[in-house]
Amino acid sequence: MAADLVLDTAIRDWVLIPLSVVMVLIGVLRYFVSKLMRSSQLPDAKIVKEGQVIIRARNLRASANFIPSKSFRARKAYFGNEENGLLFVPKGQAQNAQAQMFSDPNMAMDMMKKNLSMIIPQTLTFAWVNFFFSGFVAAKIPFPLTQRFRSMLQNGIDYSTIDVSYVSSRSWYFLNMFGLRGLFSLILGEENATDDTQRMMQMSGFGFDPSKSLGAEKDGLDIIQHEWALPKFEQRAEATLRKLIS
Amino acid sequence: MAGHDDSVSSEKKSSEAVNDIPTFNAENMQNNMKAVYYSRTFMSIMGGVIAGILGFTGLNGFIFYFLVMAITSVGLIAKAGFSIHSYFDSWNQIILDGILGGLMSFVLFWTFAYDIVHIF
Repeated sequence: MAADLVLDTAIRDWVLIPLSVVMVLIGVLRYFVSKLMRSSQLPDAKIVKEGQVIIRARNLRASANFIPSKSFRARKAYFGNEENGLLFVPKGQAQNAQAQMFSDPNMAMDMMKKNLSMIIPQTLTFAWVNFFFSGFVAAKIPFPLTQRFRSMLQNGIDYSTIDVSYVSSRSWYFLNMFGLRGLFSLILGEENATDDTQRMMQMSGFGFDPSKSLGAEKDGLDIIQHEWALPKFEQRAEATLRKLIS
Repeated sequence: MAGHDDSVSSEKKSSEAVNDIPTFNAENMQNNMKAVYYSRTFMSIMGGVIAGILGFTGLNGFIFYFLVMAITSVGLIAKAGFSIHSYFDSWNQIILDGILGGLMSFVLFWTFAYDIVHIF
């Protein structure tokens, strides 16, 4: 291992700090741009209805024990019977919904916009970093690492003699990109850009199928063991009162 | 950790006495989890800056990180009034969740502060 390098303070003032500040600002900018570009399309009435039905069924399942079994059975039939229950999906319709989802041009457009708003600033900043700050040591990681990390941390420097813990500016950019996610979630609130893409991946496009979740909810209702809680409430009240007295 | 969880907590506590009826409000639960996540992220960033300024290197820094996370856990437990089960499902949610998620932020800010203060 070579001795400690002496770095110019100008590197700190003109590379390290500006690079980090720019990364943060670009993150903020991207958040607002993607917020602007988000088209507020009217949600499909059918999908909203299905979502609400699922929520109602879930509520019923969660608080099933607080209603008498007769009421519970009536509600269960209302949601899950095989003819016109709300959770019952006819066989042929399932495929149809998904196909429609994929062929919807609005959806694809929205997805592409989101992706573009991610990719374009990233490419631009990477090009900017490459152009201005390529090829010198910008920072030092305060813990030792093995040689394996050299290609990751010293991207753009081709010396094999300097210690691995020294980081090139290009790699500092990558470090920033991954490490700032937490900061963004603090300063931008819940729905920052990275979270948004993850949610997009789950919800639309891949695997989100309303009829499937309807079916799952129906199964959940079918297997639930109903036991009315009210008869036991006297004991419960007794226990609570006893605890109060003692 | 808002006060509106109190009704949930009292109900839950009394129900534990006789039979275990889960009386959780999913939204409040989620809110609690979010609060834990935010405090952990905040503490990891602050811990990173402090570790960098104090000039920890190597293993010391990581020990400091886990120390900070332990302090955060204790703080969260104290905030919950030492009755975890009125706010969370299990101990894991308050003690272990999100510890590794904050590590990246911690390393970044540790490096940043350390570089600015010490190596130039």
